Amino acid sequence: MATGTGTGASSAGLARATPGGSVERGAEPPFEEKLRLFNEVTQDLRFPDYLYGCYECGICVAVCPSARFYDFSPRRIAQAVAREDVELVYEQMNRDVWECSQCFSCLRCPRQNNPGGIVTIMREVAVKNGLHSAKEALEGYSRIIYKIMSTGTQVSPDMIRPDAFPDWGPTAKETADNLEVWRRAMPPETMHTTSSSWEVDDKTLTELYLIWHLTGVLDMIKTLDESLHMILVDVMEEKLEEAGYPLGG
Amino acid sequence: MPGENILIIGGGPAGLEAARGVADLGYKAILVEKRDRLGGTPDSANYAALTHGMRDASEVMAEIVAAVSGNPLVDIRLNATVTESSGAAGDFRVTLQENGGPATVEAGAIIVATGFDHFDPGRATQAYGYYEYDDVITLTDAEAMLKEKKFVKPSNGQAPDRVCFIQCVGSRDRQLGNEYCSKVCCGIASKQAIEIRQLLPQCKVFIFYIDMRMYGYWENEIYWPAQEKYKVQYIRGVISEIVKKGDRLMIRGEDTTMNRPMEVAMDIVILSVGMEPSKGTKEIARILGLAQNKYGFIDPAHGSLDTVSTSVEGVFVAGAAAGPKDLDDTMGMAGAAAMKAAALVRRKSKAPSPLSSPPVGERVG
Repeated sequence: MATGTGTGASSAGLARATPGGSVERGAEPPFEEKLRLFNEVTQDLRFPDYLYGCYECGICVAVCPSARFYDFSPRRIAQAVAREDVELVYEQMNRDVWECSQCFSCLRCPRQNNPGGIVTIMREVAVKNGLHSAKEALEGYSRIIYKIMSTGTQVSPDMIRPDAFPDWGPTAKETADNLEVWRRAMPPETMHTTSSSWEVDDKTLTELYLIWHLTGVLDMIKTLDESLHMILVDVMEEKLEEAGYPLGG
Repeated sequence: MPGENILIIGGGPAGLEAARGVADLGYKAILVEKRDRLGGTPDSANYAALTHGMRDASEVMAEIVAAVSGNPLVDIRLNATVTESSGAAGDFRVTLQENGGPATVEAGAIIVATGFDHFDPGRATQAYGYYEYDDVITLTDAEAMLKEKKFVKPSNGQAPDRVCFIQCVGSRDRQLGNEYCSKVCCGIASKQAIEIRQLLPQCKVFIFYIDMRMYGYWENEIYWPAQEKYKVQYIRGVISEIVKKGDRLMIRGEDTTMNRPMEVAMDIVILSVGMEPSKGTKEIARILGLAQNKYGFIDPAHGSLDTVSTSVEGVFVAGAAAGPKDLDDTMGMAGAAAMKAAALVRRKSKAPSPLSSPPVGERVG
């Protein structure tokens, strides 16, 4: 499939001076590395369906909830890749893409572009390549990632802790301190669990672990958070080996 | 009957189509052209492919010329100019200067199809260095190269890596006195951008614009394919100046939608020059006493509902003599002018229509 950027490898970036400046805290990689990341974005199979051409009408910004709260513009995302501005796309991968709420309101683009989809691809590239911004953006989610990947359930009662959710106010502390009691007092069937939302049976768990393993999610976690990866491997190792898929190493 | 003759001034698309229309209606057309051949600006300015439709310009013009050449109802006068006119609707006497000397023709109506000139970028501003830098060219210079299927830097004959168009040169400018939009340059620049990308797939092509004016099907037939299929970069912002740097040209401007200044190197800069009334248009307007607008184009007397009648009864205008026009507009006006001129001479001569008796020969209809 001949897609990609059409006009070859070197940057067509028109200017280097960008208001706002660079925010990444890691060492600034050489241009070639930024170009490699750029190409990974534009060579993604979905990319040709996500960006046709942009006439810069700004409707995506007008409907974007994030644009109202951050210095974020889905138009700039689309324009930066369209202009093959390797430097700017790299900057955006380190900042802007994490300000998108992935609501896809921008799908009402009259050219049928999908700026939110481009953000999805850019985030994936950022995660797969262990960009500092991806680590930082996902830092707050390590407990949730751990919970989902190890138990197959989402937020569990024991995650409601005042240190994790300071904005929940004094109730969070009271709830956390007396979690067992609160759970037993609830009318619906909770199985009195506090470490997962509900019981997940072994077969389901094994299948989930297999999915994390075979689709590369585990490897992706490794690029972002090595200690979380180690903990998850500990949890999953035995079941995966029994299923005939040793993690190896 | 001389009073039924219709004089058509200008042998470009508008004049040719008007002549064909007049002959098809059964009247005699006298077609006056100052050059030694028919075809008008698409021919004299070496147009490559036409906007839109991308058909080969010479091929299309040959078809239009063939429709009048050899037609017994079309009297073609080449190397001829109009020098004087007297009389009124139904009875004009017009003096021509021909190779053999002056000649007088009689006509009941006149259609002016004297067209436009491309804006001369050296006329009022040297900001873009058109006469200074070989690699700063105009749409017409580019068109001539594209017709030869060879697009190179005029300075050294090498293929360019980066080419840009600057839109609205000579148009939409109060300081130059041309406040109007020339209507076709967005489409032509985009068409040329596609042709350059087809010839030189490694060459990056940029178009710096104020607004892209790609009305009707030009949007989906030219603009979107240029951007989506041929990856032409459209940047909103007009270039302020061009400076030579080594063997390249540095252009300076603002990328307005990205909110940043830019200064980039180009190998060829193409000035998208607009339309001005041709010398011939201004001269004929003077000779025939036609009202012109402040830009010198011939003013249609009745606005939108009648685009071809002028301030003088019996004189009609077709094509870019009446302001910037694309080919579609021009051909439509030419047909309307032929129809109105024929109706006028018929009314004035109070003769029955030639069509009321059985047609002689197959040209009718």
